Amino acid sequence: MTREIERVAGIPVVQIATIVPIMLTVGTNRIVPGVAIPHPTGDPAQGPEGDKKIRREIVMRAFRALTTPIDEQTIFEK
Amino acid sequence: MRLELHKVKIEKLAFAEKTYVQKRTLYIGRAEAEQLILEDTRFISAKIDLAMPGEKTRIIPVKDVVEPRVKLDGEGYFPGFFAPMKKTGEGQTLVLDGAAVVTCGPIVAFQEGFIDMSGPGAPYSPFSQTCNVVLSVEPREGLEKHQYETALREAGLKLALFIATACRDGGAASQVEEVQVFEKEDTYKENAKYPDLPKIIYVCMNITQGLLHDTYLYAADLRPALPTLLHPNEVLDGAMVSGNCVSACDKNTTWHHLHNPIVQELYKRHGKELNFLGVIPTQESTILDGKLRAAALNLSIAQQLGADGVIVSEEGYGNPDTDLCLNAKFFENAGIKSVVVSDESAGTDGASQSLADATPEMTAFISTGNVNEMIEVPAMERIIGYPAAIAELSGGSTESLREDGSMYVELQSVIASTAEIGFNKLGCEWI
Repeated sequence: MTREIERVAGIPVVQIATIVPIMLTVGTNRIVPGVAIPHPTGDPAQGPEGDKKIRREIVMRAFRALTTPIDEQTIFEK
Repeated sequence: MRLELHKVKIEKLAFAEKTYVQKRTLYIGRAEAEQLILEDTRFISAKIDLAMPGEKTRIIPVKDVVEPRVKLDGEGYFPGFFAPMKKTGEGQTLVLDGAAVVTCGPIVAFQEGFIDMSGPGAPYSPFSQTCNVVLSVEPREGLEKHQYETALREAGLKLALFIATACRDGGAASQVEEVQVFEKEDTYKENAKYPDLPKIIYVCMNITQGLLHDTYLYAADLRPALPTLLHPNEVLDGAMVSGNCVSACDKNTTWHHLHNPIVQELYKRHGKELNFLGVIPTQESTILDGKLRAAALNLSIAQQLGADGVIVSEEGYGNPDTDLCLNAKFFENAGIKSVVVSDESAGTDGASQSLADATPEMTAFISTGNVNEMIEVPAMERIIGYPAAIAELSGGSTESLREDGSMYVELQSVIASTAEIGFNKLGCEWI
């Protein structure tokens, strides 16, 4: 889906998901690793405040990835 | 280590006052068995039905299947659940061969399956060929799903043990028709006996993802555990128990673990074609580091034992495909030849990419079938369980159940239809 949105509509896409090898295999260009499959953008084990902090960090990283020019598949680890 | 499976053949089921076996017929004391289940206050009702091969019967939705067994020379079965916590795989075990306890109840709705005892759907499940004692329960109001899963998992094990124990105490040992022996010493001694045979290890991947996707080893949840090494006898004698509510087609039921065909086939070839080192029950984590850790430790154990080759079987599909790829990759890059066994989700036309992940190191792949293949099954005269559940099963939809009672569903809604430990006779053909 991410590839098709980029190809057909020309809109850059960031994919946040946990299993990075699958995103690499299917051809996602901008990759932000998620925390875990049941909770990709947070970590309930860290409590409400810690969870929110992680969520914010991941979403902000996704925004940065979206606005970063790339010429190959890129994983935004930090 | 020597394990003897003392098999009493079961070809027929009937209800009776008491539970016993006579002339290949297993009599179930219905009232006493239902009462046993109702001792658990998590249930408000328990009902036992019998289903025989060839009957026009559908069982839906099925959670787990358990073979009735008990130690002949010890207490209980399934250590940590219904036996004292001690090592399995030694001594004598009574097996009611041909009988199965099937647990039935809508827990997670979309992640249970069905069994047809006859018709075109029957050959897809091994449990159309077993004499099934089907347990259907109703949980008490307010019981959380995970508590319901625990309760029903335990109820299946308990009922299977109760039946086997009653038969044992009623003298079933005199009706044993076959004794199957599994015997193998430790790896050090076996290596000395067969220095020239290739050393093969088996990695058994298990769904260990929490949220009712769990597998138990000696009653311990495997999810937060690490890969470990088992003697194959332990697997064949009740060390592993399924706690999975996952797509029906490729979950390894508890019955499958007891019969693991990869373990049995490697055993048959041990000392002849190969040296079977043992079994590594391993994880499928929901975290990437967890997947990497499990693959690294599987390799570490194999390397410590000097493995030349490995067979890896998957459980489930989707994200576990990455675990499968990582295992193949790590083993191959370390010079250990790997063969993987998995099913495929290749779409209803079989044309889609069949695994979620891929890696060039995965060079030997055995397919156990396409989970998305459509099948049509006719109406049955008798339904045990909850027929409307098909709308909610993986591989079913609201349109699946037609007015006349027939169903048009994906193969994945049939229990164990694409079991990835290779129990069935299905495969995919390259075209």
